[in-house]
Amino acid sequence: MSNVIRFQFSRGSEVRFLSHLDLVRTMERAIRRAGLPMAYSEGFTPRPIMSYGYALPVGILSEAEYGDFTFAVDLDPEEFVRCYNQHLPKGLEVLWAERLPEKTPTLMGEINAASWRLFLPQTSGGPEQIKARWEWLQGVDSFVVKRDTKKGSREIDIRPFLFDVYEIAPSSTGTVFDCLCGLGNEANLRMEELGDLLGFDHLEATITRTGQFKKVGNHYFPPLGNRGCK
Amino acid sequence: MDKRLLPLLPMVTKPGRYTNHEVNAQHKDWSEVDVKVALAFPDIYDVGMGHLGFKILYALINGRKDALAERVYAPWVDLQARMEENEIPLTALESGLALTAFDLVGFTLQYELSYSNILKMLDLAQIPRRSSERNASQPLIMAGGPSAFNVEPLADFIDFVVLGEGEEVIHEILDVVKNGKAEGVRKETLLERLALMDGVYVPDLYKPVYDDGGKFVALEPHRPGVPMQIEKRVIRDFNSLPYPEEFVVPYVEVIHDRVMAEIMRGCTRGCRYCQAGMIYRPVRERDPNILKKQISRLVESTGYEEISLSSLSSGDYGQISPLVRDLIAEYQGCGVSISLPSMRLDSFGMELAQEIQRVRKTGLTFAPEAGTQRLRNVINKNVSDHDLKEVVQGAFAAGWSRIKLYFMIGLPTETEEDLEGIVDLAYKVLAWGKEFRSARRRPEVTISVASFVPKAHTPFQWVAQDSMDVLRSKQSFLKERLRHPAIHFSYPKVEESFLEAVFARGDRRLAAVLERAVDLGCQFDSWTECFRFDLWVQAFSDSGIDPHVYAERTRDLFEPLPWGHLSAGIDFDFLRREWKQAQGGIPTLDCRWDDCSKCGVCPNLQVANAIVKEKSVE
Repeated sequence: MSNVIRFQFSRGSEVRFLSHLDLVRTMERAIRRAGLPMAYSEGFTPRPIMSYGYALPVGILSEAEYGDFTFAVDLDPEEFVRCYNQHLPKGLEVLWAERLPEKTPTLMGEINAASWRLFLPQTSGGPEQIKARWEWLQGVDSFVVKRDTKKGSREIDIRPFLFDVYEIAPSSTGTVFDCLCGLGNEANLRMEELGDLLGFDHLEATITRTGQFKKVGNHYFPPLGNRGCK
Repeated sequence: MDKRLLPLLPMVTKPGRYTNHEVNAQHKDWSEVDVKVALAFPDIYDVGMGHLGFKILYALINGRKDALAERVYAPWVDLQARMEENEIPLTALESGLALTAFDLVGFTLQYELSYSNILKMLDLAQIPRRSSERNASQPLIMAGGPSAFNVEPLADFIDFVVLGEGEEVIHEILDVVKNGKAEGVRKETLLERLALMDGVYVPDLYKPVYDDGGKFVALEPHRPGVPMQIEKRVIRDFNSLPYPEEFVVPYVEVIHDRVMAEIMRGCTRGCRYCQAGMIYRPVRERDPNILKKQISRLVESTGYEEISLSSLSSGDYGQISPLVRDLIAEYQGCGVSISLPSMRLDSFGMELAQEIQRVRKTGLTFAPEAGTQRLRNVINKNVSDHDLKEVVQGAFAAGWSRIKLYFMIGLPTETEEDLEGIVDLAYKVLAWGKEFRSARRRPEVTISVASFVPKAHTPFQWVAQDSMDVLRSKQSFLKERLRHPAIHFSYPKVEESFLEAVFARGDRRLAAVLERAVDLGCQFDSWTECFRFDLWVQAFSDSGIDPHVYAERTRDLFEPLPWGHLSAGIDFDFLRREWKQAQGGIPTLDCRWDDCSKCGVCPNLQVANAIVKEKSVE
């Protein structure tokens, strides 16, 4: 076992508008408030050694964010959760943590899929519309959109990045459904693109990231523990 | 936060500015307090959150059982448009309640170019702009801060103004307002009570008189018993002051996002252009042992990674070296760095800077302000060519590669030679860089040149600002001569400096212009992308007011000035003497270390400089 603790945390409404950099700063300051015995980097500006999974888009909630903290000592994961949670701001909560075995791949190196839960308002049409659209998409091989990146705009086929849509149901405010999409460098599906695929405006949706996984074939492994394979 | 904003936030830039629940934000129960105060900063969150004064007031007010304070900032233009479209009023961050729900709304006056934002924020809050149009159901609008020392252009909009330091007077104000509320007194009665308090100015109780030529003659009180002169409040025992034990820790990036320790208040260097150096006197140093305790509490409660030692001129703090060394020793291990803003060139210990900047040796900033020794004597900026040479050479030798120099153009008595002096210095610094550098990076110099703005309560309060044409030609003079790949030349727009000069020495007649400008769409005037000088020109012309009279008229040394009744304790006789000395190029020494310059502050306010004795560091 290493001195690295991997933990899962949630991001609530209070912190939904933080950028990834804002989050990293916030986590770092909470470390200092909690007085956690972090390992610090070498060099002129010692920084706590920590890493995270893929950035959560601004405006989105999450039940499954992940972080790896490297400590200077061997720390009990439960003790870490208890202590850190006392110093995290409202909206951020560590759900559980485990010591990481040596040579575990980094979060970024491992994660390639995410599950999302979306609440759409009445105005975006009912569950039937999403159902029909998903049925139609299952018979469609490619769905090309224009994606703006820092290097300019390019055409990209996003159809392969949407793996599954399920649990489509009415909710008190409109429609709720879950989906599994690609995440990361290779097969990333953006929320506005998910909107393009399923026919809704992502800015009107309330979106929660419900899981992050390493997808191997049709199996989804979370980066922490071995629960929740589908 | 106001829940109605939530659906709008995904559509605006940096939505994290508008949410709350930051660490250490105070959410008090409204039903349990008597007086509710909104601390309103007339700029966006990112700027306002860096303001130490509001951190202090926030802690003091929320520290009382009977009062609460919440924060309000100007929403950026994208959110404003959506708020107006959806008829959502401006609300406070903590409770999400409209400003109309508060008893007091306090604006800080940090710079003249934020005045339009004050009116815009009142508009967004659906509060009538003019105090005469507000009744007892509306909050009282108060103001304080450096620009309160000439608050006249805002006199029609503000119910009462606090001059000087707020730590004591805020409690007196809260008590008066609390009692007034309990008794159910009329707004007029409440304001009359406030007007009798030391350091509080109620503009509505006075009327300006102008002569046939439009010159200001006098400000006449129209109620018996109100003071003819309002003296600023000043803290005598700086060490006994409470200091916030917590700062609200923002999520989004803001300026001065760090632990700020106020090591000293006031400055007696006496730079003649500098308003802060006049209005914040006397000098009071905070005991290093008290500072260390305050810093330790703040690091613990905020988790910040940087501590800055703030004051007007931190290098002048007597025990600066031992303090910095102790702090570095204490915090280095846990990744907390120390920074020293506002270091003066002459008091700059190279060793100290090296110690602090062990971290990253990128840029160093100096402010010689003028290009020649002669002009530096005129403005009493006692930095010598020799100091500059030693420090800059030392900096390059120690591994710095980028030097930034601040200058002003349009200073009184300036000639072409002084402008040449700026150019000379730029090339000299570059040459020293080539000769002395130890870093691999190629030396670079940034020359930042501001246009001089004469300010009230300074020895230059009577002088004319250079016309915009003259300033522009001076800028191009420099620009032509500073063309070099390793020299970066930057300068703010002359129009901004002009507008600042108009309001810095303005009178109550500017209220109409300000209102017109805001109606035309002016706001965020200090943001280049928002500044609309064309609209300001129109506002002046629509109001029949010539702005040039305010900026470019040389005042008679003995004519009544619109800010004459607002006193920072400085005698205008001292300012006149200083103006004479300036014209003769004669420096005035710092009263901390040399003879008293007889500025009047100590006898007028019954105060004295308070310097920490040596070896008091534990």
